[in-house]
Amino acid sequence: MSDAKKQGFVVSSLVGLRDWTNDRLPIMNAWEKHMSKYYAPKNFNFWYFFGVLSLVVLVIQLVSGVFLTMHYTNSAEAAFASVEYIMRDVEFGWLIRYIHSTGASAFFVVVYLHMFRGLMYGSYKKPRELIWVFGMAIYLVLMMEGFMGYVLPWGQMSYWGANVIVSLVGAIPVIGEDLLIWVRGDFLISGATLNRFFALHVVALPIILIALVVLHLLALHEVGSNNPDGIEIKKNKDANGIPVDGIPFHPFYTVHDLVGITVFLFVFCFIIFFAPEMGGYFLEPPNFQEANPLVTPAHVPPVWYFTPFYSMLRAVTVPLLGLDAKFWGMLVMFGAIAILFVVPWLDRSPVRSMRYKGWYSRIALLIFTASFLILGYLGTLGTSPGRIALAQICTVLYFLFFFLMPWYTKKEHTFPEPLRVTGRWISNKQVVLTLVLLAALVLLPLRAVGAEVTVDLDHVEMDLRDQASQQRGLATYMNYCHSCHSVKYARYERTATDLGIPENLMMENLSFGEAGFGDLMENTMRPEHGNAWFGVVPPDLTLISRVRGPEWLYTYLRSFYEDETRVWGVNNTIFPNVGMPNVLYKLQGDVICSNNASAPEDCELTHVEGTGELSPEEFDAMIYDLVNFLYYVGEPINLRRQEIGVYVLGFLAILLILVTLLNREYWRRIH
Amino acid sequence: MSEDGTDSGRRRFLLGSTSVVGVAGVVGAVVPFVGSWNPSAKARAAGAAVRVDISRIEEGAILGPIPAWRGRPIFVVRRTAESLAALPTIDGDLQDPASAQPEQPDYATNAHRSREPAILVLVGLCPHLFCSPTPRLAIRAEPFEENWKGGFYCPCHGSKFDMAGRVYSGSPASRNMEVPPYYYETDNILVIGEDGVAA
Repeated sequence: MSDAKKQGFVVSSLVGLRDWTNDRLPIMNAWEKHMSKYYAPKNFNFWYFFGVLSLVVLVIQLVSGVFLTMHYTNSAEAAFASVEYIMRDVEFGWLIRYIHSTGASAFFVVVYLHMFRGLMYGSYKKPRELIWVFGMAIYLVLMMEGFMGYVLPWGQMSYWGANVIVSLVGAIPVIGEDLLIWVRGDFLISGATLNRFFALHVVALPIILIALVVLHLLALHEVGSNNPDGIEIKKNKDANGIPVDGIPFHPFYTVHDLVGITVFLFVFCFIIFFAPEMGGYFLEPPNFQEANPLVTPAHVPPVWYFTPFYSMLRAVTVPLLGLDAKFWGMLVMFGAIAILFVVPWLDRSPVRSMRYKGWYSRIALLIFTASFLILGYLGTLGTSPGRIALAQICTVLYFLFFFLMPWYTKKEHTFPEPLRVTGRWISNKQVVLTLVLLAALVLLPLRAVGAEVTVDLDHVEMDLRDQASQQRGLATYMNYCHSCHSVKYARYERTATDLGIPENLMMENLSFGEAGFGDLMENTMRPEHGNAWFGVVPPDLTLISRVRGPEWLYTYLRSFYEDETRVWGVNNTIFPNVGMPNVLYKLQGDVICSNNASAPEDCELTHVEGTGELSPEEFDAMIYDLVNFLYYVGEPINLRRQEIGVYVLGFLAILLILVTLLNREYWRRIH
Repeated sequence: MSEDGTDSGRRRFLLGSTSVVGVAGVVGAVVPFVGSWNPSAKARAAGAAVRVDISRIEEGAILGPIPAWRGRPIFVVRRTAESLAALPTIDGDLQDPASAQPEQPDYATNAHRSREPAILVLVGLCPHLFCSPTPRLAIRAEPFEENWKGGFYCPCHGSKFDMAGRVYSGSPASRNMEVPPYYYETDNILVIGEDGVAA
């Protein structure tokens, strides 16, 4: 320790502070117990990243959640607008919101993989039963946390998702109806429900979650980690009492986990900056519409992480023992989660790991995994008889995996366990084969029940860099749309700046009434007038491109045709019987349904030559510009988000190189 | 585990560089969270410059404290020739008669502390503990000052200011009242909150 003499004042004071604290609080002891002298098996593989990643996501969610709370308003009247306020008006609010929404899904990704690891390597078996039980409790609380968090933006999916799930309470015999009203605090899902969910989501459940995580880790560090071979490293110790197959968690697994964390952050940031909606799975399009208790969206799928259980709920279609199907569906759904808690007592195998279990267990796990994935996918779709039947089969298979476990784990022929931990067990070829087999098991049954019907839309590519197009689109919007619609979450100033329009031009030619430059682009029509004139309140269009997609808008606005039976004399092929008149009629001219189809969807549209102030090409170009503007206003940060994303990913790539080298440096001598 | 046989130079270099890059990453990650505390577009819109029509303010009268800018009261006073003439006569009683302290934009660093001599624009807050002083514009004897030349009197702690918002000696306040940035859009329209292009 010749360095000690060279230590400066700062270092010696820090050491002094550490020792002073340690005399009063055993920090060194804790550090040794949980880090530097916690001996973990040296054969952890890829699957062992997901525990620490869950912890990383938990921290990400806590931090981003705390900051969202600072800007969010928890009332039914203001919640939706406050989320858009976060997305547009708060500096970097969009980033914090996307971190939190992506983090929710990422949490379930890593937790599902972490749970699968446990099932595969028998990490729940004696003496780790309690770790597993705490883990399942975490999963359960996490689902409640996710569910209540999803309600907070107060969009259509928030509302109707909450409505469906909370209504399950009503299925409980005798007390259900009263309990339902108590849970909602109202006779429908309302601000009262929103407020209690908010309190639970940001205060109560996170506290419980953190407490459970602490218990999960304490229990783990008491008995020690399992490993892919499922053998006990503590049975084989050297002269100092250290397991020969163990290595100190710090530094070996800290540097090792850094690699996993960096790769995770790379994927996580890629989604945040380049695909925050994740194709509608992380942020569902209908949720960009404010909650409306009177209109249910066409299809109410829960977020992807609930879909396996949602499928099971829908799969139960028969009443039994005088109780209706809804009740049994609820029981099956909760049973599917509850049964996970008792897995440690269902597995009677003499070995832990799938490496040494017999073929019954392996096949059972494969079928179980396939069933779970199929149920998950089915849950995102609407129903059909074929799909219901498949969901029923998969639900049965899901439960059989557990019900038969005591039998097949006892009955099967297991393989001898090694005395020392081993390294890589299956070859790349076997990994690929397993994945192909799993994919086949998942995809073939799904193919058989058919795909979703989709509407044919005209293909069009939006261009956010084309300011001239968006400026023309804004002018069209202001001239033809803004008297009935609004873009009330956008501000004149931001819009003008982003589209390169000078302030005076914007305020003199492209604004309504007494609005100030910094004001929101609201309109002056009162909702009750809209209702009286059109039968519906013309919707706000700020987020319409995120709800419908630009291609839908482009097609819709060009699909009006003459139909004398309708109030406004027009109908629309992709939005039949829409309440909106064709305000662009004068420009477009006459379009007729040339095949006289009875249903609007089947019409073939023909433009009557010589009518309209614009040629069909000019008209299409004008609609393109309009949609391009609406696409911009749906997410003004879009371009900037991707620009920042490039830098973030570049940075993480550099970090990844460094942590990989560091990890290799530490692990060179470990065999 | 043990130090023997490890390349400590390489290890140190990697530890050092990873730490530096990692810390840079943490700093970068903190930026958006810190940034989210800045005034939002909504707050900035609410705190934007306000337009005031001064054509209706009579001589010796005050408009205000109505047109609040960024939530602070603004006084706009049309001073009489008499008031303006009285300003230099009380220089000796003031703490900062020449407006040496930066309580006003450059274009108001003059004897009358304003762009146009007659029109006075002030943030209506006492620099002491931020009560809003009461306008006592007339030249007449007041309970708190026999020889009052007009100005503002703070009801909270008795600070006294003249008709240019300059603080009297012997007041708890030690600075002159603040002049906000402003400019004339037209002869009669004041924009309060921005310096304008000419400044």
